[in-house]
Amino acid sequence: MFKKNAVAAGMAAFASVALTAGCAVADGSKGSDVDITAMSAEELAEHLIFETDSFRDQEMQEGGTWRDRMTQDELQKACSMEGDPDGETAGRVVAMARASYEAPESIELGDWRKGAELADSGYGYRQGHRTDDHSQREAGGNCYNCHVFDPRVSDQGTIGPSLQNYGANRGTSEAVLRYVHEVISNPHQYFPCTQMPRFNSDRHQLLSDEQISHIMAYLLDPESPVNNQ
Amino acid sequence: MFKKALLALPVAMAVGAAAQAGEWQDPNDVLQNLLQNNPDSAYLHQSEMNIMMMPDNPALWLIDEGEELFYAERGPNNVSLEGCDFGKGPGELEGAYVELPRYFEDTGKVMDFEMRLVHCMKELQGFTSDDPAVARRHGNGSDIMQLTTYIAHQSSGMAWNPPLDHPEEQAMRDAGEVLFFRRGGAMDFNCASCHGDSGKQIRASVLPEMRNGQEWTKAVSWPAHRAGHDNVRSQNHRIRGCVWQMRHAGIKADTPVNTALISFWNDAARGEPAVLPDLKR
Repeated sequence: MFKKNAVAAGMAAFASVALTAGCAVADGSKGSDVDITAMSAEELAEHLIFETDSFRDQEMQEGGTWRDRMTQDELQKACSMEGDPDGETAGRVVAMARASYEAPESIELGDWRKGAELADSGYGYRQGHRTDDHSQREAGGNCYNCHVFDPRVSDQGTIGPSLQNYGANRGTSEAVLRYVHEVISNPHQYFPCTQMPRFNSDRHQLLSDEQISHIMAYLLDPESPVNNQ
Repeated sequence: MFKKALLALPVAMAVGAAAQAGEWQDPNDVLQNLLQNNPDSAYLHQSEMNIMMMPDNPALWLIDEGEELFYAERGPNNVSLEGCDFGKGPGELEGAYVELPRYFEDTGKVMDFEMRLVHCMKELQGFTSDDPAVARRHGNGSDIMQLTTYIAHQSSGMAWNPPLDHPEEQAMRDAGEVLFFRRGGAMDFNCASCHGDSGKQIRASVLPEMRNGQEWTKAVSWPAHRAGHDNVRSQNHRIRGCVWQMRHAGIKADTPVNTALISFWNDAARGEPAVLPDLKR
């Protein structure tokens, strides 16, 4: 379209020589010795992640290496499909999630103001070209990316259900408190293969019990703006 | 001279008959067609401001700079990039961008666009990884983004058509699909966490659905001027940003995980016209 034919032909002849010569030098651009066509797609995906130097060798905020973070646990493996899980998978995932959940002795609501800050913060656990420094700033819950709590505060996402008036509609009985704690800690107990992260499970401890109590207060406390809309 | 050609071309194309899959089309015309065909797509229609700005897309300004860089004799070997084969033959750029990634005999592997461009800058022009021409991957001022925008523009309006004839092309595309759905990282996300449904939002951003071809072709149409960044960004920059937000590990440039993901996502847009360059929020 914009090409200049005058010089192109001569350059092409030169280039093919240069490319052939270049091929003899490895320089990281040579194909690997591994026959990728002999692998299943799943095997190749694992090979690409772990054997091709595709990720930065960094220590993760939660401890451990990039390999630890990228290695799947059983629940992640079970949920790596397109669409919803079949009945067998869903049952297995619920069972896994329930088996690993430890209910606290008692659950009390924390400070809804602190919960609002945590729900509306997307800071934390990002790693790579820029890395979130948890010693400088507390990691948040990221809730607002996917849930509407209170549209007066910020633009809030719709990947998960709206939580407006969540507590106003449900009250603060012991059963409701236990349920909400279970869902935030490991939502797969009720929603197998949900897109929602496990915030406090055998795999991840993204939020402490105290932080969860604040977010629960934001959701359930009658004084919280979530319940006054 | 370049500029005159640039301005004349869209006019010539606009007066032609309705563009077919193989035909070059002005990126704004491609977008207008997508909008008209999909009046209910919240993703495509989300920013009236950006749609209005599209004819004056700031990314268009990188095309001239990229063209000059492409034909300039540069690097330690003092040669232009006209000897670079993006899959259609040395220096053949028309339609090349929408037919990547592909398997290259000379390197014996599947390469995505940026990987191939960097390969040529090193092997033909003699740049090393530390030279700013190659090391700087992001931003309007980088050679890579100027070259990317110029070369990609030669495929505007053409249908995504990454080849799958070579067994390694099929293998990388299939591995990319597995990676797309692979739950992992600190928050258990996969790509489908955000791109599995139509019309969902992360905060204010309406997200494209991967299985919706007319949303997805715009989604993968990088380079694009990203209004929020005030810079032109690449497919690789989008992957890096997504992986970072997903709380997976930090992904490196020029690596096979990028290539596999791009192989899959360009295949997912197969048959749909590319918007090159695009403008995004």
